[in-house]
Amino acid sequence: MADKLMMGRRTFVKGGLAASALAALAGCGKKSTSSSAASDSTAKGGTFKFYIGNPVAIDPYNAQESEGTQVEHILFDALTDYDWDKEKVVPKAAKSWDVSDDGLTYTFHLVEGAKFHNGDTVDAKSFKRGWERIANPKMATPSDINYHLAPIEGYDEMNSGDATEISGLTCPDDNTFVVKLKYPMADWPYVCAHPALAPVPQAALDDPDSFLVAPIGNGPFQMDGKWVSDQYINVKKFDDYYGTKANLDAINFSIQKDPDTAYREFEAGNLDFCQIPSGRIKEIEGDKGTSEDGYTVTPGKQVLTGAETAIYYLCFNLQKKELQDLNVRKAINLAIDRQKICDTLFEGSRKPADGAIPTILDKDNDNSWEYAKYDADAAKKLVSDNNLGSIELELDYNSGGGHEDIMSIIQDGLEAAGFKVKQSSQEWAAYLSSMSEGSFFMGRLGWIADYPTMDNFIYPNFYTGSDNNYGKYSNTEVDKAIDEARQTEDDDERRAKYREINKKIGEDLPIAPIMFYAHNHVGSDRVQKMYYDPQGKAELGSASITA
Amino acid sequence: MGRYIVKRVLQFIPVFLGVTLILFLMENVVPGDPIKLIAGEKKLDPQTEINLRIKYHLIESDSNGKPIYDENGNTIETPMWERYVDYVGGLLHGDLGYSYQQNGKPVADILAEKYPYTIKLAVVAIILEAIIGIGAGMISAIKRYSFWDILVTLITSINVSIPAFWLGMLLQLFFGIVLKNATGGAFYLPISGAGGPTAEFDDWVYYILPAVTLSAVSCAYVARIMRSQLLEVLGQDYIRTARAKGLSKHDVIVHHALKNALIPVVTYIGMDFGGMLAGAILTETVFNWPGVGYETYRAITKRDWPIVLGSVTVIVVVVMVINLIVDISYAYLDPRIRYGSPKEQG
Repeated sequence: MADKLMMGRRTFVKGGLAASALAALAGCGKKSTSSSAASDSTAKGGTFKFYIGNPVAIDPYNAQESEGTQVEHILFDALTDYDWDKEKVVPKAAKSWDVSDDGLTYTFHLVEGAKFHNGDTVDAKSFKRGWERIANPKMATPSDINYHLAPIEGYDEMNSGDATEISGLTCPDDNTFVVKLKYPMADWPYVCAHPALAPVPQAALDDPDSFLVAPIGNGPFQMDGKWVSDQYINVKKFDDYYGTKANLDAINFSIQKDPDTAYREFEAGNLDFCQIPSGRIKEIEGDKGTSEDGYTVTPGKQVLTGAETAIYYLCFNLQKKELQDLNVRKAINLAIDRQKICDTLFEGSRKPADGAIPTILDKDNDNSWEYAKYDADAAKKLVSDNNLGSIELELDYNSGGGHEDIMSIIQDGLEAAGFKVKQSSQEWAAYLSSMSEGSFFMGRLGWIADYPTMDNFIYPNFYTGSDNNYGKYSNTEVDKAIDEARQTEDDDERRAKYREINKKIGEDLPIAPIMFYAHNHVGSDRVQKMYYDPQGKAELGSASITA
Repeated sequence: MGRYIVKRVLQFIPVFLGVTLILFLMENVVPGDPIKLIAGEKKLDPQTEINLRIKYHLIESDSNGKPIYDENGNTIETPMWERYVDYVGGLLHGDLGYSYQQNGKPVADILAEKYPYTIKLAVVAIILEAIIGIGAGMISAIKRYSFWDILVTLITSINVSIPAFWLGMLLQLFFGIVLKNATGGAFYLPISGAGGPTAEFDDWVYYILPAVTLSAVSCAYVARIMRSQLLEVLGQDYIRTARAKGLSKHDVIVHHALKNALIPVVTYIGMDFGGMLAGAILTETVFNWPGVGYETYRAITKRDWPIVLGSVTVIVVVVMVINLIVDISYAYLDPRIRYGSPKEQG
């Protein structure tokens, strides 16, 4: 050890010498033009350097995860947008919309005079074109996010290759886009806020290969060159944007494989927004200050820890006899120390989940489930009163990603309650197959909302036969209530119905909610203002930076 | 020699077919459905799943692109042998298939994007390795037991025991952050990426730290091998004879000893170069280098079999070619080595 230390110094000296030589060399390699253009320190202009992982797609036809939608949503404007302050959907590319009395037909009135980055006009046909690309099975790869369009009449026919267009999408004139649904869905304008449901110009059909790496949109920024996979995506301000023009001149999306490397780039002053490596939130908060609302970076208040619209939970496989006993599900829910998981593993940034609906979606109401809280004594009592101690529970999860530590805390709690517990982890690909085949007991899952609606946490996870209902939960009363809620046009009334549904599901406990995800991001000292929403999309159109 | 090369090239064929066949078999054995993995936790709707399977020829379809169903109404999987024959047939036309995960991008395009970075980094690293490793080994051998010999021995011991990714992080911290802060931003090196039009430095600067990291361990091995080989050769009778003839030490080393000592070193460097051309996952991850190693690793975890097959195919060919070149180079280094039939050797 002593030897190593000594040599450490020696190599350090050697390194120092080499350092000077290399750095001098590098000095020669430095480009003369500075990348940050403006020299005054006003809040206009400048280049924002933003860290992302390599996206799946930035072309809206397949934009899905946070990285892809991050880039895509500043290149494209969808019909609507979600306002997090007002907690409701607001106009964007559509200035207004009407819905027919039967709740089946939505008529969107587009903003007139909007242009694509190539000068083409944004009209109703460009929306029809964009949406039909998503449903088209003849694309180089069929989109795997076409489920967004599933409620539209004629979608199935196009997706199966029996039709060449979606009959439910019509364009009576250039600025009117009509969507006919198969069944009433009052949340439809919220679905339309999804960045993927964007308009595309004719160029997307003429040259799809180029469009995939350099999409042409109608948003506040346009591509500057093309997406270089695993390296960077550069965008610049679009001067003919129809809405409020961007403050920033340009954004460099630095695509990094490793969040730790990205953070070193941040420390070196080469990034303006970055994810915080695990275990360092408190330290960096001390250094950079904590954002007041958890979502907005301002000077001196740069660390974001606001809750996200995403939940981490254990899904009970209700085909398993042991888990069909409600008392078992209650005892499991009571035995998990969620606060300990959040505090010890996530420095208190993530919040214990006390139900299926993240607090951020319904701030003023209590949607917690009676049993989704830690009560070791009550759990123990339930187990002993009902003789559940002989039951062996299996915790299934995918290896890596820190899940082992979470599962160990859960296991401790369950064993303390009196259960026998074993863990079973598999690599992600294999785990997903097991989940799909139903060969799991209690499986770890995460759910990130597509749309900021309560329905998006309820329907996909708890409706009978729904895609993400891995545990095969089924309650006809809940299904009926969901059907009703989905048709309720009035926002407040609909929300009230979902609160009731959530309560009912809470009585059945088909899952054990563990925690709601939270941001763990930090902005640089250069950032004047930037809002990073609960869905993980930065509002770069309104962001500003000192040069 | 010509016949030897032809014979070796012909040997490529069974090796290549064997490796790809093993991979094809693995595809069936390893758990994880590549099509389901495209969507992750959010399931694909059944029709879309069928569309994707048809697209990648994983199930049988008719001429209109509609799935063919068996008597029970299930889709029919394309037999593995049929897909293998398709794959090999495609290869002959330069078609390596299409990625499952990257929006159907041709694998040939993906490799054409990534491979140049891997090759360039490997070449820079191997040059560093050869110059520094051979140089240090020679100094160490010639000045045996001197301060320099001990220094080289110690540094190489440390080098082989430091994991490459950790060395990479230290270099990033020192050259990217500490040095930048210490000099007020006057001197520093870029710590990740491979340059590009809006990058701060010229592209070549981005090679420095990854190449040093990639070559560090091998450099130490080369120095060690070089030292021991040169010492062994220097102890041979013919070296003493040469010295007795009156040749200077310098001439003896350069004209007689060096060439003979180089054979194991060249073997090692050649093998190492082959390894580097398969990509360096850790170095590529730490330095965000857009090489083929990380791409292959990602493809394995996501079961993007066309990329795995494509990159392995290319790697197999490249490694076989390099081994051939190394073997041929022996003949140059040691005139006693002759390749060909026994008759020709006569």
